[in-house]
Amino acid sequence: MSVLTEMFRNLFSRPVTILYPAEKVPVPPGFRGKVTIADEKCIGCSKCSVVCPARCITMTDSPREVEFKGKNLARKKKPRVKLYKCIRCGLCERHCPADAIHLTGEPASCGPSREEVTA
Amino acid sequence: MSKVVIPVGPQHPALKEPVNFRVIADGEKIVQLELDLSYNHRGIEKAAESRDFIRVLPLLERVCGICSHSHATAFAKGIEELMQVTIPPRAQYIRTIVAELERMHSHLLWLGVAAHEVGFNTLFMWTWRDREAVQDMLEEISGNRVHYNMNEIGGVRRDISAGEVASILKRLPVLEERIAEYVKMAAGQKTMLMRFCGVGKLSRAEILKYGAVGPTARASGVDYDTRKDDPYLVYDQIPWKVVTENDGDVYGRTKVRIGELSESLGMVRYCLENLPEGQIRTTAPKAAPSGEILSRYEAPRGELVHFIRTNGTDKAERLDIRTPTLANWTSVAAALVGRNLADIPVIVAAIDPCLSCTSRMTIVDQDKNEQRTLPVASLRPGNTGRKEGGLFS
Repeated sequence: MSVLTEMFRNLFSRPVTILYPAEKVPVPPGFRGKVTIADEKCIGCSKCSVVCPARCITMTDSPREVEFKGKNLARKKKPRVKLYKCIRCGLCERHCPADAIHLTGEPASCGPSREEVTA
Repeated sequence: MSKVVIPVGPQHPALKEPVNFRVIADGEKIVQLELDLSYNHRGIEKAAESRDFIRVLPLLERVCGICSHSHATAFAKGIEELMQVTIPPRAQYIRTIVAELERMHSHLLWLGVAAHEVGFNTLFMWTWRDREAVQDMLEEISGNRVHYNMNEIGGVRRDISAGEVASILKRLPVLEERIAEYVKMAAGQKTMLMRFCGVGKLSRAEILKYGAVGPTARASGVDYDTRKDDPYLVYDQIPWKVVTENDGDVYGRTKVRIGELSESLGMVRYCLENLPEGQIRTTAPKAAPSGEILSRYEAPRGELVHFIRTNGTDKAERLDIRTPTLANWTSVAAALVGRNLADIPVIVAAIDPCLSCTSRMTIVDQDKNEQRTLPVASLRPGNTGRKEGGLFS
């Protein structure tokens, strides 16, 4: 009996499926998606690269002056994230002292060029 | 009549993961079942030995996609005990909430799979739809549907905000209604009764003999639940009861799991309503003192055991994982004897097998044409599995 009730209810309701990628499923705040790096905040301490379980973060040369806790620091390196290797555990975000690396609500990206799969 | 050996697997339409059964049948009746596991060995235990306590938790979550929180909690719980760190009450409550939501999603998934195995696809679609509601809650709490990454040594990584508590509490009555529907279905749905009743029967004595755990054991009247017998987190402080049935068949296992669904829902509601204020983590030392610990945890499929040996560094020297599926396999071999070949999928599915978690290394000596598994002695102190009596002796 409950099957029939369910059937009639579904006849008059909207379909659950969506037309991905034209439409996207809304994600809750705090969703662990694509990694982004705030270049102006990063002090190049390599902590993210050390804690990464997937070993997808490497440090590349990027000299720059950054402000950290009211002081000006001369940064030497910045992280480079291989997104296709990233498991989105969020450990880099958790251990970053400068609040520079974040997991955004954007889903994982794919693309033909290296730039598209690197953050 | 002569007996026929029918190989099922390692790749077979009825199986989702690779495992090999050698079914010895007399006509349609099964006489004996021989199991061959380990097509999915990934070497996670060895990989865990080379990662520190921060980096090992995401790896251990990947032992299993369904009970990811179970593995991380079992490990974190063991290490915290070795370090003599007590995690704050709020963290314990959050771990319990995620654990029980995980149990709900696992049981709903199982109910769907079992229904699918007997050709009752309506129920399969229904339970998987309801499972989405649980997955959404988990995603809201942790930021991911499958690998929650909630644990860290010394507490949890994320707090549950008041808004999230209210939003989850608002959605629980709908789930409760659905679970009540499944209870009703289990009692009177003809398709389920015909395919589940009397199938894969195991007596209490057989369960004890083969050492089955979890819902498989509880369906045969064995009142064994790690949450009650060796309480951890807050299971000794919150109201709940162990669900047992006396049927001993697949029907009993279904009833136990549906019963546990409502128990878990009750626990989630209680924990959310009584979530204590305070810190979500304490500062844990980086390294654990030398020692050995056996950390037990009631995963959705049964008792999960993590044996951890530490040597005073920030890595585990040896980790051995005994998953509930491994404990339940022998009971499947016994339950299948005397049944029809057509009952294999549903009896195998009744223990909710997870083959990737279960795979064990088998050492094959081609020269001597011998096969053996790792001896218990390889877990003892000073033996990292490489020395004499260990892996490559």
